[in-house]
Formats: sequence, C-alpha cells, structure tokens
Amino acid sequence: MGKFWVIFVASISILLPFLCNSFSPETPTDRRVLVLLDDFAVKSSHSSYFNSLKLRGFDLDFKLADDPKIALQRYGQYLYDALILFCPSVERFGGSVDVAAIINFVDSGHDLIIAADVNASDLIREVATECGVDFDEDPSAMVIDHTGYAVSETEGDHTLIASDDFIKSDVIIGSKKIEAPVLFQGIGHSLNPVNSLVLKVLSASPSAYSANPLSKLSTPPLLTGSAISLVSVVQARNNARILITGSLSMFSNRFFRSGVQKSGSSTKYEKSGNEQFLTELSKWIFHERGHLKAVNVKHHKVGETDEPALYRINDELEYSVEIYEWSGTSWEPYVTDDVQVQFYMMSPYVLKTLSNDKKGLYSASFKVPDVYGVFQFKVEYQKLGYTSLSLSKQIPVRPYRHNEYERFIPTAYPYYGAAFSTMAGFFIFSFVHLYNK
Amino acid sequence: MPTNLNFEMARSLVGFTVLLLFLSICESASFFQPISDSHRSAAVELFSPDHGSFKSLEETYEALRTFDVLGIEKKPDVTATACRLVSETVGSSSSTLKDLFYALKANSIVKCKINDKAYQGIITRLNAAVDGASSLPDFYYSVGGLLLVKGSKGDVHLADADGIFRLVKAFRQSDGRWRFSSNSPESSAFAAGIALETLAGVVSFASPELDQSLISTLNSDISKLFDSIEKYDDGALYFDDKLVDGHDHQGPLATTSSVVRGLTVFAAVTDERLNIPSNKILGLANFFLGIGVPGDAKDLFNQMDSLACLESNRVSIPLILSLPSTVLSVTKEDSLQVNVNTVLGSNAPPLTVKLVGVFTSGSKAASLVESQELVFDDGTGMYNLNNLPKSIDVGSYTFVFEIVLHEPEHEKIYVTGGQKKVPIFASGLIKIENAEIAVLDSDLGSIETQKKLDLAGQNAVSLSANHLQKLRVSFKLTTPHGLAFKPHQALLKLRHESKVEHIFVVGNSGKQFEIVLNFLGLVEKFFYLSGRYDIELAVGDAVMENSLLRAIGHIELDLPEPPEKATRPPPQPVDPYSRYGPKAEITHIFRAPEKRPPKELSLAFLGLTFLPLLGFLIGLLRLGVNLKNFPSNTVPATFATLFHVSIGAVLSLYVLFWLKLDLFQTLKLLGFLGVILVLVGHRVLSHLAATSAKLKSA
Repeated sequence: MGKFWVIFVASISILLPFLCNSFSPETPTDRRVLVLLDDFAVKSSHSSYFNSLKLRGFDLDFKLADDPKIALQRYGQYLYDALILFCPSVERFGGSVDVAAIINFVDSGHDLIIAADVNASDLIREVATECGVDFDEDPSAMVIDHTGYAVSETEGDHTLIASDDFIKSDVIIGSKKIEAPVLFQGIGHSLNPVNSLVLKVLSASPSAYSANPLSKLSTPPLLTGSAISLVSVVQARNNARILITGSLSMFSNRFFRSGVQKSGSSTKYEKSGNEQFLTELSKWIFHERGHLKAVNVKHHKVGETDEPALYRINDELEYSVEIYEWSGTSWEPYVTDDVQVQFYMMSPYVLKTLSNDKKGLYSASFKVPDVYGVFQFKVEYQKLGYTSLSLSKQIPVRPYRHNEYERFIPTAYPYYGAAFSTMAGFFIFSFVHLYNK
Repeated sequence: MPTNLNFEMARSLVGFTVLLLFLSICESASFFQPISDSHRSAAVELFSPDHGSFKSLEETYEALRTFDVLGIEKKPDVTATACRLVSETVGSSSSTLKDLFYALKANSIVKCKINDKAYQGIITRLNAAVDGASSLPDFYYSVGGLLLVKGSKGDVHLADADGIFRLVKAFRQSDGRWRFSSNSPESSAFAAGIALETLAGVVSFASPELDQSLISTLNSDISKLFDSIEKYDDGALYFDDKLVDGHDHQGPLATTSSVVRGLTVFAAVTDERLNIPSNKILGLANFFLGIGVPGDAKDLFNQMDSLACLESNRVSIPLILSLPSTVLSVTKEDSLQVNVNTVLGSNAPPLTVKLVGVFTSGSKAASLVESQELVFDDGTGMYNLNNLPKSIDVGSYTFVFEIVLHEPEHEKIYVTGGQKKVPIFASGLIKIENAEIAVLDSDLGSIETQKKLDLAGQNAVSLSANHLQKLRVSFKLTTPHGLAFKPHQALLKLRHESKVEHIFVVGNSGKQFEIVLNFLGLVEKFFYLSGRYDIELAVGDAVMENSLLRAIGHIELDLPEPPEKATRPPPQPVDPYSRYGPKAEITHIFRAPEKRPPKELSLAFLGLTFLPLLGFLIGLLRLGVNLKNFPSNTVPATFATLFHVSIGAVLSLYVLFWLKLDLFQTLKLLGFLGVILVLVGHRVLSHLAATSAKLKSA
C-alpha cells in the first residue's frame, strides 16, 4: 500500500509541471505539442523549424503517425495543446487517433498544423476537408507555375514555386515585411467559398495551375490561378487555429536555407522567406499573437463611478472595457481604433467607436436613447487574424418618473397667474361681500 | 523521456519507405551534390559556442572536427577555450573516461600543450581503465584514448593486446552486430561501429603479434553486417538498428556514421583487404550526401565525419558525378558541365567522362546522340560538352554518363558506380506566331470580326458576340529548331464580371493551336450570364523560357435569359478584408422637444392675467366699498379674523400644493383647515345673519 502511495506522489510530482504549463485562458500559448511524422528523418531534415519552436519554449513530442501508442487524450484530459501533422502519407493513425479524434481535439480549442505533400493520403485529405480545405483530387498533381517559379539550376520542372502573394495582415504573418519570396513545392488546395473562417495566407500567382507535371494536360485543371491556395489558416469560432499547406518541404532546412530568385526578376535573395514566414505564422497558430482578452467591462453615469442597476432614458453614461493582447509571455495593451460598442435592443440603437488611452482601456460615452426596455451593451469585435471578442451585458432602461418631468413650465405662467389672481380676488371679495355696508 | 523517444524511433523503420518519397521530393534531382559552401555556412551557424564555449567536450570535439573537415578557419577564441577545457579535463583526476577521451580527441585537432606529467597520469588512468573495462564503451574510450595519446606522445603500449582483442570480440553477435555489454541482450549496428573502431585501435597497438585468424573472422563479420544494410530507391544505403527498446538507439544517421567510422578505421590498420562491394561504399556516400544540409549540429558532425572517413578510406573511395546545372538553354547555347569529385569536393584522379546516351524522358526510343567524351577544362576542373548536340531540341531528357578512370589500378581504389542517369531540361525560347482571335457566325462559319494578337506585348481587344456565334483563338508555336512544340499549359480563361471563371484547354494539330468556343453549346456552362468576359491566355511549359500569361482583352456576350431550372453560378469567395472592419456608427435620434412660445410672451400674458384683479380692485375703490359691517364685538371680531386667516391659509395651502406639497399632504392639511374654516365660518356667518336679521326686523 505504501509503495502505491509513493508511486502516486512521484507521478503527480512528475506530471505537475506539465499540468501547470499547459494552455489556459490566462496563458493562451500552447506548450505541449505532439508532432506526428511519417519518418524520423523529417525530425532531422526539418530541424530548423522544430528548433525555432523549441527555442520559444514549446515542448515537442515526436511520434510516428502509425505508432500504436499515440493518444491525444487520456481520462478525458488532453495530453497536448497542439498537434503537428507532418505525415502526409499516413494511411491510418496508430493508437486511438483518427479523423474524429483530431476534429474533436480542434473543437475543444486546440491548434493544428497540417502539411500534406504529393501523394498525400486520403486520411490527411479528409482531415483537411474537415477544416474547410480541399486538396486537388488528382493524387499526383502538383502546383506548377511557368512564370512564377523559383529559378534553380537543378529543378527544371517549375514545380518549385516562389510565391510572394501574402495575406495583408500584420497579426498573422508579423509586422516585419517578408522581403524574399517563399519557396513552395507540393499540392495546391482550394477553399470552400462559403466557409468564412478559412483564410488564404499564401496564394499562387495567376499563372499557376495544379496538374501532374509528367502527364499531358487534356482536361482543364481543377485549380488554377490565384484561386489556388498554397498556405491557408483557419480560426475556428472557439479560437482554435489551424494551418494547412500542401508542401511539407517548405518547412525543411533545405528550403529555409536556400536562396531564391523568382523567374523574371533580377533580384536574388540570399535566403528564402520560408523561415520568416513559417516562424511568424507559427507564432500566430500557437497563440503568441492575435489572442485578445477583454476584462473590466464597466459602465456608469457620467460623473459617477458605481454601476447602476438600471438607467433612465436620456441619461449620459460612460462605457469602458480593457482589452489586452497575449504576446506569448504577458498580456500587453491592445491598441487599435476600431473597437465598437453597441447599445442594443433587437437592433443597435447606438453604435459607437471606443476611444482608447493606448494602455488598453477603451471607453465611450453616450446618451441613453429615449426608448425604454431591456438593452444590452454589446462588443462584437472581429478583426482579420485576431480572436473574436463577444461581450454583452444586459441593462434595463426606464422612462421618466412622474416627478421627473419639468415642474414649472414658462408657457403655463398665464394659467398659474390667472389662478392666483382669482384666488387673490376671492380673498378680497370675501371681505367686501361680508363686511360692506 | 529519451528512452521513450528512442523506443518510438525504433518503430521508424516501419515508415522508412516513406522517406524515399520525402527524399525524392527534397532532392528531386536523383543525383547527389558533393559538399558545398552551404555546409560551411550551416556549420558556422550550428556550432556557435554559447558564451565562447560549447556545452560539453563532446560537442567541442564535434565542432572542431566539423570545422576541420570543412576547412573552416577556426576562430582563435574557440581554440583557446577548447584548449583550456582540454587541459582542465586532462589535468583533473576526477574527469570521466568519456570526457577524457573527447578531450584527447579535441586535442588531436587543436594540438594544445599538455605536459608530460599529465600524459603520464592519463596513460596510467587509461591503462587501468582498459584492465577494468567490462563494457564496449569502456573499451572504446580507454583504447581510443591510449591511441590518441600514442598519436601525440609516441611511447605508449597496450599490455596484452591479444587478450583485449578477445575480450572485445566477445561482444560479437552472430549476425555481424555487436552488444554494448555482455549482459545486455540486444545487438546493434551502432555498437558494431564502435567495436570495429576499438579493435582497430587494439590492432594498431599490437599489429604484428596479433593472431591473423582473429582479423579474418572479423572480416566475415563485417560482410555479415553489410548483409543487413538497408536501401533507398535512389541507391542510398544505410544502417539502422531494429531494436525495440534499446536505450542507446541513435537513428539511421548516427548508426551509419558509426559503422562507416569503424569500418574505415579498421580498414586502415589491417593489411587484409576487406571484402566489401565498392558499390556499397558508394551507396553509403550517397546516403550521407542525400541528407543535404542537416539542421542539427550532431547530424552535421556525423555527416561530415563519415564523409571525411569515406574521402580517404582504404576500401574504395567514392567519386561523385554532379552537374552544377541541369537546366540548359538551347537558345543561349549553354554548355553541359559535369563535375567529378570526391565526397568532400576535392579533385578526382585523371579520368574521362563519357556521355553514353541521351533519351527523351518517358520514351523508350533509342539514344539521340552518339557516345562521346566530354572535354576536361583545366581552369574550372569540369568536364564540358560545349555545344549541345544538334538533335537536342527543347524538352526534358535523361543523359547517361559514364566515368572511365585512366589508370587501371585506380579501379581498385575508387568507385564510380557505373552509368549515371541524370535528368536534364533543355529549355529555349518558343516562337509564337499567327496569334488571332475571331468571332465567327455559327451557321456559315464566316468571320465576323477578326483581330491579330501580339502575344509578346499588350493586347486589349474588345469583341462582342451572341449565343449563336463562336469565338476562335489560334496561334502557332515553333521550337528554336523549327519543330512543333506542345506546351504543358495552353489554357484559355474566360472570366465573367461576377468572377465566375471558365477554363478551356487549347488543343493543337502540329504547330497550329486552335480553340473554337461555340457559345450555343456553352450557355448552360456559362450559367446564362451575359455581360463582359475578360479573356486570358496562358501558355507555359517547363522548357519554354518565354512562358506567358496574357490578358487579351474582353468579349461582350449576349446570352439568352436563363430558364426556370437553370443552375445557378457557384458562390464566389468573399474578400476577407471586406468581411471585417468597423461598421458605420449609429447615433440615436431623440424625440424633438415640443415647440413652446417665447418666454416673453408667456410673461406678457402672465401680466395680462393680473389686469382683471387690478380692474376689480379699482372697481371696488370706485364703488366706495367699506368694511363697516365688520363685527365690532371682540368675540365675533376674533372669529371673523380667524375666518379670513383660515381662508388665507387654505389659499396659501393651494400655493404650497403648487410649489411642493403632494396631494396627500395637501388633503390632510386641508381637512384640518376645512374643519376650522367651517366652524369659524359658521360662527361668523351666523353672527352676520343675526345682525342683518336684527337690522331688518328693526
């Protein structure tokens, strides 16, 4: 019995640091990452990418995708905060992992990176489809671009693409401009147009198309032009983030180090943009950027500090909220000029942009509309690349009380005067009437 | 954790076929390039000391060795700190055997000054370690250490070399693999490499007096070990340990590296020639080169150290044939250049490179050229074929090369790997002529409008057509040699204003490319969308240097109205930038206050309301009112006064009611005042009535 107790204490003390370091609403950065590989050679050939993650404090757990021991959760607790699927050709995951398990993992707010490649298995395609991304159905198709390829002495089939058509969002790909084009070699995908959560981060040039480079093209390719997405991201409604790309080699050391020259351009870059692009993107995926929280939602009448239980129509009120962005290590004030508050009852009665003090405090003051009922203060903040904020606070608004109306109306003075002069007349008349002789 | 990880790594073998795919993608050219400058810059980057020194002596040695192999100038501070670390370790008696071993190894590169006394101490320690060794690593470190001391000091002897040889050999397994210690059950190729290196050390201490039969059996063991070698599709060979729970499992690179190190060191000390096919050595070299530039310091060291071992081994030295460029321009008349180097990029012995044949990719036709020799250029050290054969037009080809060594005895030293197939892309400028776009009448096929296109420049044709007409786009493509050219990508794209796209493949007959779009048959495909369609033409191929994507112009289509059940065009993606962003502000419009007359007017009318009172008072004065009827007796006078005071109080109450009191307060007070008023009033009025009745009766 005593032995069991020792084992129990030991296992708790081993597990404790993991339990404390994991993802939580207070520290939204992922910590424990499961990396599933087809082959451990990828660990070495893509080590620059993994090292950049390790240096940022991630705890990478490398497993083979068909390892029978892999599991995402145990006893209802997720063992990892994020999953990297660098296993394009896996036909069946080992252990208890399957498509449903991965989707559940994402549905519970965890992050996912998927890298497919030529001949990607149906399993990986299925996972991608669940995320709103459709890879080219032709298993041997690759993205080919005869005018936007990367000039190379040894790659003549124009499947090595230099792309610089990035999404214009500082939060997703970092504020530092990516100068060099990104090398890509793999399969293209298209986005489901009705899915508003998936975004094209790196798109192919208009001259690109997706086809098998070795066979003759007899039917029009399914994917062409800038509709081809090379790298896409998804931010789910629960703020889980997913990165999907059709090229595993774009993460490789070789592409990270390789110089790049886009065809038709005379500029030759010493180093491709892959490292910067993918590192910055991973910061976004792992919630080191673009993760917002709103705290201290307050409202009160102008000149007061306490929050009233209800407002009267035409009251002047002040609304304030503090918004912070997670920087990977701490919460930093979030500064922008497009946060808006709504005073809402079935439809917004007031919609006002909040002004901020550059320290994360957003405030606005406005007059309560002269309509009574149960209103809500609503902040629905959605911005490209940021987690969405949805705050609402209910507050009733009452009309004037009977004694709150204006008391002495100048227009009515003649009526008052008439009444009082009659009263004065009556008073005098009472003397005259009674005592006149 | 590492145990667990290694355990998982062991399973990696299952997925190794997958690595083939990965390698073939990463290194899409199926030939291997020797070590280049990218390795040097990677080495400098990966082996960057933390605050001037490396984490451990092992890492220090790895860094020094890698720099040494790559010929990188050692930074003086690295050498100095390494020397300090080495002398600290060597001087202290508490340093571990492993640290001592790596200190000596690092010393063999940096050549620090170690005094004789320290050497004596080391020798004593190492000899004691050899005597007390019970596991393979113990032997490895101690024998290796002694060998290194011998290298720098000279007079070192190993007592009972024969016995130690037998002791080490006891770790041998029947399949050519070795065990780390006698009580660990599993055998590994990694251990085999270490064992070979140790035995090589023992042999070099006691070469002549050693029993040669021991070495011969070892030879057959090495052959057995090579039977378990594993193979990639592209010819790379490697070793890996199929251990399920070996705690020292290292992965294929470290394992292969260990075997290569052991093998080459052992081959260097024995007189006997090892019985290993030279192609296997070439396969191992291909494995190390195929890795490219590793991203990990340890991997880079393993790669570099193994390649350095292969560079000058006694079994066979691999020669690597590589091409600086496999994309050759026919138009620019690029010359074909071939490099033949050793793995580390140094010059090969005199040899001839032969172009055996050129084959069109994907076809089994006969060679396009005669077998010919390439010309060696002393300046660049490359073998050139100055002009591509005339029979080579644009396209993708497979060139087959063969290396022929000049000296017959070199055949035994070097391995070339026979014929070498290299995919070559011959690119060129394609001539585009007779580009035309025309609108045809459907029935007769007569041309309604026709415009010439200049596909090299800008075009902006504007056409219009209805559903009974046809659109024809045609052009002609010719290769530099005047032959027909069929590009991989010949697509015509029509894009409607609503961003619905339609793509057509332009077909060809010989040089002539033509596509005819019969709009009558396409109305359904076009979703009955009339309006402006932008036309784009994309012509491209891997070997076409002037691949193009041109906006030709637009066509105004007049299509019939869609029938009831026509399919709707698919939804188009929404621009993500417009989806978000602040909304327009909304301010509530308040009810306007009621209109009121100006205050002056109210005041004026207020004044007017007092006029009747004034008139009443003046009238009373004019009538000559008096108060003679006021009771003169004290009691009635008091009551009369009280009566009027209470009337005044009631009236004042009304004023107060107006000013501040509410109805309940007012009624309460009024009830009180009313009772007084009634009582007092009754007394006064009855008194007045009595007085007047008296008067009347009088």
